Formats: sequence, C-alpha cells, structure tokens
Amino acid sequence: MVSLELLGTPILQHIILAYTALFASIALGIPLAILALYSRPLQRIVMVMANLMQAVPTFAVVAFVVPLIGIGFWPAIIAILLRALLPIIKNTWVGLSSLDPALIASAEGIGLSRWEIIRYVRLPNAYPAIFAGVKFAAILANSVAILTAMIGSGGLGTVVFEGLAGVNMMKMMSGALPAIGIALFLDTSFGWLEKRMVPPGIG
Amino acid sequence: MIDEIQTVWIRYNLTERTIEHLQIFTIALLLAITIGVATGLFLYRRRRYSPPVFSTLNAVQTFPDIALLILLIPLAGIGTVPTIIACVLYSILPIARNTYTGLISVSPELLEVGRAMGLVERDILMKIRFPLAFPMIAGGIRIAIVFTMGIVTLGGIFGAGGLGAPLQTGINLMRPDIIFVAGIWVGLLAVILDGIAGGIEAELKRRFGSW
Repeated sequence: MVSLELLGTPILQHIILAYTALFASIALGIPLAILALYSRPLQRIVMVMANLMQAVPTFAVVAFVVPLIGIGFWPAIIAILLRALLPIIKNTWVGLSSLDPALIASAEGIGLSRWEIIRYVRLPNAYPAIFAGVKFAAILANSVAILTAMIGSGGLGTVVFEGLAGVNMMKMMSGALPAIGIALFLDTSFGWLEKRMVPPGIG
Repeated sequence: MIDEIQTVWIRYNLTERTIEHLQIFTIALLLAITIGVATGLFLYRRRRYSPPVFSTLNAVQTFPDIALLILLIPLAGIGTVPTIIACVLYSILPIARNTYTGLISVSPELLEVGRAMGLVERDILMKIRFPLAFPMIAGGIRIAIVFTMGIVTLGGIFGAGGLGAPLQTGINLMRPDIIFVAGIWVGLLAVILDGIAGGIEAELKRRFGSW
C-alpha cells in the first residue's frame, strides 16, 4: 500500500495542474466569447475550432504537445488548456447569444451602454450555460491532468503509470481513486456554486 | 514528406491499427446505442427510476477515463474488453438521456391527435414518440461518438491496440514523426466521423424536427 504521505505531493501537483489550466481557460475563454459576440470573423473561427477540436481524441492532443512545445509542467498546462478552453468558449457564446432580443431592446431602451448590457443583462442570463461549460471543463481538466503524466507533468498520473508499468494494482488504485474523489467533489461543489450564483428567475 | 509518412505508416502497421481501432469503436458504439436507447425507453416507462439512474450515470461520467479503465482492471483485465466497457459506460448517459427527453417532450396536441385516431399507447410510442425523438437520439449518439473515439484511443495505453498504441510509442520514444502521422490520422478520423454524425443529425432534424 502506498502511504498517504507519499500520495500528498502527487495529489497537490494534480490539483495545481488541473486548476491552473482551468483558471487560465476561464480567464481566456469568457473574454474571447464576449469578443466573438461582436466580431463575426472571430466568431466563425472560434466556433469552427471549437467544433473540430472537440472531436479530436484527448490522447492525440496531449501527444501533439510533445513535438510542438516539449514535455514537462507547462506543456501539460497547454494540453489541458486546449481541452478545457473549448467547452467554456462554446457554452459562454451560446449563453450570451441565445438571449431573448426583447431583453436587449429594452435594456437599450432604458439607456444602458453596450458594456452595461453585457455586464447586467447578457452575462447573468448566460450564467447557467457558462456554469455548465465550466463544470464540464473542470471535469475534463481533472481527467486530462492524469494523462499528461505521460509527458512529464507529475501529479497523480505519475503514480498511475508507475503502477501500470510495474503491474502494481495497489499503486494504480492509489493514483486513480483520489482523482475520482476530486472529480466527484468538483461535480458537487460546482452544482452548489451554481445554485448560489445564478440569480432567481433565470435558467 | 510523403516518403516519411509512408515509412512510419508501414513500420508501425497503421493500416492494421486503423482497422483494429475502428473495430473496437464500432462494437462499443453499437453496444452503447442498444443499451442507451433501451435504458432511455425503460426510464420512460418507469419514470420514478429516472432520477437515481441518471445521477449514477452522471457520477460515472465525471470519473477520469484513465481512472475508470483502472477500476475495470480487477473486473475485466486490460485490453479490448475493458476499453469497450469504459466506452459504453461513458456513452450510455448521453444516449439514454436524449432518448428519454425525446420521448417525453412530444407536444400534447400530437399525442391527442394520435389518441383521437384510435392509436393505443404502444402505437403512440412506436409511431409518434419514437420518430419525433430521432433527432434528439441522434444528437446523443453524436456525443457518444466523440467519447468513444477518445476512449478507444486511450485504450492504446492499456493494451487494446488501435491508434493509441503508435501514439504511445511516439511519446515514449519522443519521435515527432510517429506522433504527427498517428495523431493527425486519428484526429482526422474523429473529425470525419463526427461530421458524418452531424450530417445525419441535421437530416433527421429536417425530417422529424419541425413538428
């Protein structure tokens, strides 16, 4: 059995890896989606990329990173980012753009500026969709963060792959079970956060 | 360039790997469709089971795919069988949920028209609800195709063969040529399959979606 002290570092590395990539995807994805709302060419590129990239197997994305960027922590972050970014952009854009036009018209009617419309009308109405995207991205990031151990990211995947190489079931499990725990925790906490943040009357 | 691709292709048996990959993919997808549609239909019939079943499937879907494949080792070992099981476990949810939603969200007027014409519940299910649910079911299958393609590729790490195997070799040997040829090829296959599924979904929507 792998002792808990030995698992501490991989768990921490795993969480840092997955969350750094997730927050970078949120920080990049939501502004990109807002920009796409006002620029047709950008919108085209983003949606085509999102649809195509989402179909490409994760393993292939992780593999591509090796010859293009290299191996280690930051290349792994890029690989996870490439996966997590798309659902966030896509869902945010869908949420922002599928708003009832009458709401926008009345917001313009009471004299809100373009920025105020985004901040107080479009974004709150898009919260449920954005949350769905971020939740999906968080679960993806958690999953890809195991795989990136193949390209030297460290984390729980290292334990998993060492166990796999040595046919050590205990070791494999002690890498896999914490990752499952983190996934279930993410799923419930995002569900809770969504309930708290989405204003009543929306969604 | 073409020579290099050809060398890698032949040296790593990519033709055989592709066939292997598509075989696993097809078996997994057919199983997932059968079980998924059956589950959706069952839950439509016994609606009180739907919250527990869907939340269980939901939880399974949050599991990292590698962790799921590891959980399956004591039950099914490594190789093709656990890979197929993992694909099916992930793909049941989108297909079952969409089948269920498609079956229950038929507009009441259409059901009333059916009843007025003397259709019994069974006919209403087969002749009204199912056809109108086709676009939704196709949408679920499309999601399942993407999942399945991803997990079959991952199965390469767990001895299932397929195109994940040369990818792993490429990463282990740090050989860009293998990674590019196998990676672009599997990416292209995935995009094409997703495109075909998208086309079918759009066609079904055109036929059955406007009611």
